[in-house]
Amino acid sequence: MKSHYMNPYLAGLFLGLVLLFAFFFSGRGLGASGALKRVVIETVGTIAPEHASNSVYFSKYIGPDKGNPLNHWLVYEMLGVVVGGFLSGALAGRLKWKVEHSPGITSKKRLIMALIGGILFGYGSQLGRGCTSGAALTGMAVLSVSGFVTMASIFGTAFLFAYVVRKNWI
Amino acid sequence: MGPLVPQEIIGEGWNFFIAFIVGIGFGFALEQAGFSSSRKLVGIFYGYDTVVLKVFFSAALVGMLGLLMFSLFDWIDLNLVWVNPTFLWSAIVGGVIMGVGFVVGGFCPGTSVCAAAIGKLDGLMFVGGIFIGIFIFAESFPLVKSLYMAGNFGHLKLSTVLGISQGFLVFLVICAALIMFWIGEAAEKRFAREDITREV
Amino acid sequence: MKELLQLKPRLLFSIPIFITGLVLALVPENTTQPYKLSAQDMLLEIQSGSEMVTPDDLADWIVNKDPSIQLIDLRTPEEYEQYHLDNAINIPLHDLLSPEWVDYLDQDVKMNIFYSNGITRAHEAWMIVRQLGYDNNYILQGGLNYWVETILNPTAPKNSSPDDEFARYDFRKGAGQALGAGSIQKSNNTSTPKPKIKRRPRKKAPEGGC
Repeated sequence: MKSHYMNPYLAGLFLGLVLLFAFFFSGRGLGASGALKRVVIETVGTIAPEHASNSVYFSKYIGPDKGNPLNHWLVYEMLGVVVGGFLSGALAGRLKWKVEHSPGITSKKRLIMALIGGILFGYGSQLGRGCTSGAALTGMAVLSVSGFVTMASIFGTAFLFAYVVRKNWI
Repeated sequence: MGPLVPQEIIGEGWNFFIAFIVGIGFGFALEQAGFSSSRKLVGIFYGYDTVVLKVFFSAALVGMLGLLMFSLFDWIDLNLVWVNPTFLWSAIVGGVIMGVGFVVGGFCPGTSVCAAAIGKLDGLMFVGGIFIGIFIFAESFPLVKSLYMAGNFGHLKLSTVLGISQGFLVFLVICAALIMFWIGEAAEKRFAREDITREV
Repeated sequence: MKELLQLKPRLLFSIPIFITGLVLALVPENTTQPYKLSAQDMLLEIQSGSEMVTPDDLADWIVNKDPSIQLIDLRTPEEYEQYHLDNAINIPLHDLLSPEWVDYLDQDVKMNIFYSNGITRAHEAWMIVRQLGYDNNYILQGGLNYWVETILNPTAPKNSSPDDEFARYDFRKGAGQALGAGSIQKSNNTSTPKPKIKRRPRKKAPEGGC
């Protein structure tokens, strides 16, 4: 059976070249959670400005000299991801509103699990100073210790924990 | 020569445009590889689909080889390339939390945005979860600050720790990755789940 | 056959990566500091002589207490101890590339003026830092020997000399006295305009991370 996805090695090669392009032009790699963090900062800063400036963590990113937290490299990159993902989905005919889940669970359960997973990942990405793309992939490409540690930690834990949640997937 | 923007060979104003272009490539690559599907992503943890391993490591290999080669030809000044700082304990604990989040939620931040972009509602839900998680982290920051700052080794490279050249380290990583690719493809046969791979 | 087709993408990717990795592992790392100026650029600069500062100009700036001057003595510490110009710092030539001096040599605030006894050492140092792309470094023409000869012990011109020779003599004598005895004497010598200190965009520390 021919897969309708790109060959993984080819996709990896392409992703690696994108990463290299980012290094060559901007001197930095990819990232995802940083952009989402800035959306949170901007949201909290708009709804409760006082709370945001009192927050030890948020106040690092806001202030008269910092400019808009959304005016950041990663935010523009993430907008690109939305466009790029959409383009690829459109080309491959994969644009469709749906909740993807294993036949063994309901859509509702899948959505709840996705939410919980997102909360955990959001929390972990801030503690670990980056996610799979920002800390693990980019970190490994520049040979930083944190890149290898984060990668091993994410995938190692996920392997160990996979058994616990196997009913959700297989 | 490179990196071009930090050395002001091309103007700062282009940086966000470059970021956008990089993002398009990033998103396109993720979606083409099938990373917009959570069932495909978690396949690596059950062995029926190891696309994550293949894409992630081949991209990392191309990235590290490319950087090294560019530096050798003086195309890029590695001193101006960001090296993630190593805070050992927060990286480990953060990674553990992310690992659980990964297998529970079926995505990571980049892939969830990509999934949401083609209409996957579970991806959108995951993105919402990330927002909440980040907010909780910020609120609980005073509690975890000591962990967050513990084990600071600065912008440390693994080659420095091991006392080997960067080229040799990259070669070792390549060998490890090629073995993992081989194992991955063997696992795909061993743990094949036709019913799942047909659907995703 | 089907087996082979399935293996193909992996091998197609693995083999070139493995070979490139092997080659790069065997090639020594690039640790050279890239030269920022080409040989051609250097030749043009040397020919224009714009790196030279005359003792008269320097004396004028010192007398007027110009704050943007940084004198750098390239001789050995012993020589430096014996005699050096006021406010000069000692960077022995053999120590030039030591990291502790980078902030002095690679900057855009002051005008560095290298000197040694003659001009050889100053010129050698200047060539090296200039090739590294550092701006705002100059050489005292003739070195200390010429400085002593012209500024501290100027010889009176002959009676038949043109007027400006006398004017220069007066200035030097005045400057020499000012530098020696401390009585400031405003010079009305029309010295060449001081070269502008080249500002450059701040080198940005790499940014990144999530």
